[in-house]
Amino acid sequence: MLSIWKKIPEQIKRLSFLVILIVAGYLLISPLFIPPDFGKYGHFRASAVEEIASQQMNYVGHEICANCHEDVSVIKSKGYHKNVACEVCHGPAFLHAEDPGSATLEAPRGRSYCTLCHEYLPSRPTGFPQIVAISHNPMKPCITCHDPHKPEPPVTPKECSACHATIARTLSISYHIYLPCTRCHETPEKHKINPREFTPSKPSTREFCGGCHSIDAKSDKGIPRIDLATHGHRYVCWQCHYPHLPEAK
Amino acid sequence: MEELIYHLTNILKEVSGYIYPNEIELHWGLLIVIYPYLTGLVAGAFILASLVKVFNVKELQQTYRLSLLTALSFLIIAPLPLLVHLGHPEKSFEIFLTPNKSSAMAMFGFVYAWYLMAVLLLEIWLDYRKDIIIWASSEKGIKKWIHKLVSLFSSDISERAIKFDKKAIKAITIIGIPSAFLLHGYVGFIFGSIKANPWWSSVLMPIAFLFSAMVSGIALVLLIYMVIYSWRPKGINMQCLDKMASYLFYVMIVDFSLETLDFIHRTYEAEESIKILAELVGGKLFVSLVVIQVLLGMIIPLGSIATAKLFKMPEELRKLIYFVSSILILIGIFSTRWNIVIGGQLFSKSFRGLTEYKMTIFGLEGLLVSIGIMLSPILILYVLTKILPPWEEVRNP
Repeated sequence: MLSIWKKIPEQIKRLSFLVILIVAGYLLISPLFIPPDFGKYGHFRASAVEEIASQQMNYVGHEICANCHEDVSVIKSKGYHKNVACEVCHGPAFLHAEDPGSATLEAPRGRSYCTLCHEYLPSRPTGFPQIVAISHNPMKPCITCHDPHKPEPPVTPKECSACHATIARTLSISYHIYLPCTRCHETPEKHKINPREFTPSKPSTREFCGGCHSIDAKSDKGIPRIDLATHGHRYVCWQCHYPHLPEAK
Repeated sequence: MEELIYHLTNILKEVSGYIYPNEIELHWGLLIVIYPYLTGLVAGAFILASLVKVFNVKELQQTYRLSLLTALSFLIIAPLPLLVHLGHPEKSFEIFLTPNKSSAMAMFGFVYAWYLMAVLLLEIWLDYRKDIIIWASSEKGIKKWIHKLVSLFSSDISERAIKFDKKAIKAITIIGIPSAFLLHGYVGFIFGSIKANPWWSSVLMPIAFLFSAMVSGIALVLLIYMVIYSWRPKGINMQCLDKMASYLFYVMIVDFSLETLDFIHRTYEAEESIKILAELVGGKLFVSLVVIQVLLGMIIPLGSIATAKLFKMPEELRKLIYFVSSILILIGIFSTRWNIVIGGQLFSKSFRGLTEYKMTIFGLEGLLVSIGIMLSPILILYVLTKILPPWEEVRNP
């Protein structure tokens, strides 16, 4: 045993001593810093679950609301707001559920709350009901016309621009401003109520635009004309020309 | 709050196209640019040192210890930008206590510790051991005790012990090369595996990081060597300098080819992100990528070193070319890190817009802290050369 010890170079002995010191230090210190219940369920403190669970609850979830407000819940479950939880508008309801008498909830009455979702924004999906609040019945609270539990417009929008504001603004400076949208887009009546399921059409033939723009079309003199037989090969006109702002400069 | 709004309003003016709200401000700033830059310098400097021991490049003997000390001083500082960025440095040791094996970022602690303790410190200790013992025997006062402590009170300088040291150093260097690859390849791995970001997500990333690391590390040692040795009595050894420049040139060619390959591959693949990336490269990153990284940091140094070698220019002119080239390369590689880290966050994941990075001067994420972090390895290197002088003339035969 002694002969083996003698054969080990001196520097290795010293290094080994240092390594043993570091490893021993690590082993001694680590239990002091690792929480005893660490790793019981996963890479976290097991007691963290209880700590989080013991925190004061604020929200109860829409099922609890439905226990007492069944009538509203039934109406809402069939409307467009079926995926908007009650507490999104009425606020945290835990205290109210515990003691409905003393803790009452409020509903937003102002215009600014609904517009958080319904103000016009170009990045919102097409067909999502959007308004430009400044010009949409100014000063009138939303709930006077719309029932938030069954949000169907009392009158369906007369103008396409109610939802398609960007296109309407683009069109306003275009030569095509005097054409009604329905001249080019055949629009099913149900599109106004259910816009994504019933979509309007687009012109699918070259002859459609040719109705005004071909050489032999019977239309006003000032309208630019082309020979459909030679112009643009087989492409549909709107593949090259943007009809909402044709030949923009 | 007002300050925050002012800050965001300023950035908003620079936003173009459509971006998601959480993309206005960048999450990773200048500190995260510095972090891969520093680890790259470490890996590069170590690989230069390994050329002497593993590949027996005799001309570079003079730079061996200098490279090791440079690698060590930059390695000590390398995690600092991360700690400053994350905050709570006092909690950092917890990643060692409860290692999370499924987190690549948490595993960095172990890669770092392995590289520092099992490779770099060990190699330096074994290489210096004999010299430290001899220095300590002839010194007095505090210096003697520092050297005694650093040598772990070792005293065996018999021929057998020295022979063992040499063998051990070679073995460590051989282990050290893949370790250095691991250290810096890991940084590339982190970026390369962020699959949601088309600017980062590339299998070439770890390899490209590695070669750019070698380029920057060799350039750094070359620069430090030229600065220090032009003041030392022995002066610059041209053979050594030429050899270093040659290796720098070869590695740069590989690095340049890899980056070109990446560029061609991206252009050919032309995924849906290509348009926004083209807009990024042609717009917000034009100066830092095309001008600084590619032209100043790569093409000009490559061209000038090639010209210096090809036309066998006079010594003084060669020195000037190497000096300027290495500075340009260091700036160029910094720009590479900038373009990867900052560039990857400038475009929206909607691929429809670009945001802007506004660097602050004060504060933990600011320019001043970053400059301090970048300069501190130089200070550490100065202290290290006082304790462990790397000069040939103080080396004991």
